[in-house]
Amino acid sequence: MDIKQLYKTTILEHNRNPRNYATPKEYTHKAEGLNAICGDQVFIYINVEDDVIKQMNFDGESCAISTASSSIMTEFLTGKTVLQAQALFADFCQLMDRKLNISSMPSLAEVNNMAGVKNFPARIKSATLCWHAMNAALVGKETATTE
Amino acid sequence: MNRKDFPCLDVKVHNKPLVYFDNAATAQRPQSVIDAINHYYNKTNANVHRGVHTLSGDATDLFEAARESMATLLNSPSEKNLIFTRGCTESVNLVAQTFARSRISKGDELIVSEMEHHSNIVPWQLLCEQTGAILKVLPFNDNGELQIELLNDLITDKTKMMAVVHASNSLGTINPVKQIVKIAHARNVPVLVDGAQAMPHIKVDVQDLDCDFYTVSGHKMYGPTGIGMLYGKMEHLQAMPPYHGGGEMISHVTFEKTVYNAVPAKFEAGTPNIAGAIGLGAAADYILRHSIEHIHKADTELLNYATEKLLKVDGLRIIGTAKHKVSVISFTLKDVHPHDLGTILDHYGIAIRTGHHCTMPAIKHFNVPATARASFAFYNTKAEIDYFIESLDKAREMFL
Repeated sequence: MDIKQLYKTTILEHNRNPRNYATPKEYTHKAEGLNAICGDQVFIYINVEDDVIKQMNFDGESCAISTASSSIMTEFLTGKTVLQAQALFADFCQLMDRKLNISSMPSLAEVNNMAGVKNFPARIKSATLCWHAMNAALVGKETATTE
Repeated sequence: MNRKDFPCLDVKVHNKPLVYFDNAATAQRPQSVIDAINHYYNKTNANVHRGVHTLSGDATDLFEAARESMATLLNSPSEKNLIFTRGCTESVNLVAQTFARSRISKGDELIVSEMEHHSNIVPWQLLCEQTGAILKVLPFNDNGELQIELLNDLITDKTKMMAVVHASNSLGTINPVKQIVKIAHARNVPVLVDGAQAMPHIKVDVQDLDCDFYTVSGHKMYGPTGIGMLYGKMEHLQAMPPYHGGGEMISHVTFEKTVYNAVPAKFEAGTPNIAGAIGLGAAADYILRHSIEHIHKADTELLNYATEKLLKVDGLRIIGTAKHKVSVISFTLKDVHPHDLGTILDHYGIAIRTGHHCTMPAIKHFNVPATARASFAFYNTKAEIDYFIESLDKAREMFL
């Protein structure tokens, strides 16, 4: 995929209007995602009730790919159970693994749009950072890195 | 001094001619450096300072000739003041762990500047952890110029060492190190100068600077990676304990007592990076052949041309606007995160660096999480800068 196509079809729209970009007052889980090499920093806030993700928000300072990925992820995981979210995290890691050559996974629906980032290896961590932070929050860790 | 001397500049990236503006991360190497390394491996490959055979003698001659070339380039009083290291990082660590460690104790103070590369911060922090010493910071103003008027007050009776960068890799600032050394010496504080970013751009004369130590990175000055140098004043080098123990650095070993070799061998334990050293010598010869004054003039012309053009780009902010700069321009572009910009420019064949450039405190000063950085070498062209500006505009339009 051409770089412009990737940005135009998916990244820029979410970057301009990121869904769930907010700092909520109430949440049950929170973690920070930190990409030390490039300086991306994302906070994920999750409100879980009866094992179901009722609300997921993010804030922080990061590039368009990271912002779009957070926007798509928070939208996608709202309403899923904690176990489902963790299983989807594992799927997303596989999708974004360059060695596996997977272009889409049925379980990931619209999240599959992020697979285009795989063509820009230096930026894969920008796309995966928020997912690592989300998983860290659910397992009770304060920080996650993509290293 | 010719672009054609640098073969890697001919490659294509995403089917576009490479525009290499990441020289502050690592410069390209001229063919003469590549040839010198090849020649060593093809024709004179042997260990140095060891054998009685011809090839070992030839390798030693080339290795020591490289030290002499570097001595000429730095105007070192002797080639014996120069130690081969893996690079600036190792040079700083060497001084921290030998010279500084042997004279620092709990409560003593060290000074670094706010614009240091992590490699000139962390070795001193490690030393502080080991000794209980305190790290103090000389700040810079919003243009990215060190506030040297504060230095005299920052120095106390407890100050044992100062380390400062000659030219900033993220802001481009050329610091008045001669003046800094003078102020520090008046208070008996020895000074290490990090020359990684200065060497490829400006004349460095260690005797004129009067610094106690000067560190050199090979790959920033058109030489190979994994090689660099440490210049030190002879009285320091002789008094300092060794850094690493091993072969080469000894003159006599028994289980009861070991006598160390003379300087500089005392600090060069183990078989060195012979090819790297020879390559570094070839890079020094390249600079000497074409003159650093010519190189500096060409760099400065590119810096001024690019600065003028960049200031006209909507929403662009230059980070680091010191009066005296090497050809390094850090900047941010409104609404376009530096990493996205780096990816988009790469698509146009343009290589820039994005992030904090291993100077997190310096970047934090400007309240930005990251910057984009274009850094030029004399082999870059104004046409490349024009193309870069056009591409910036295209990137900006994408995000509108």
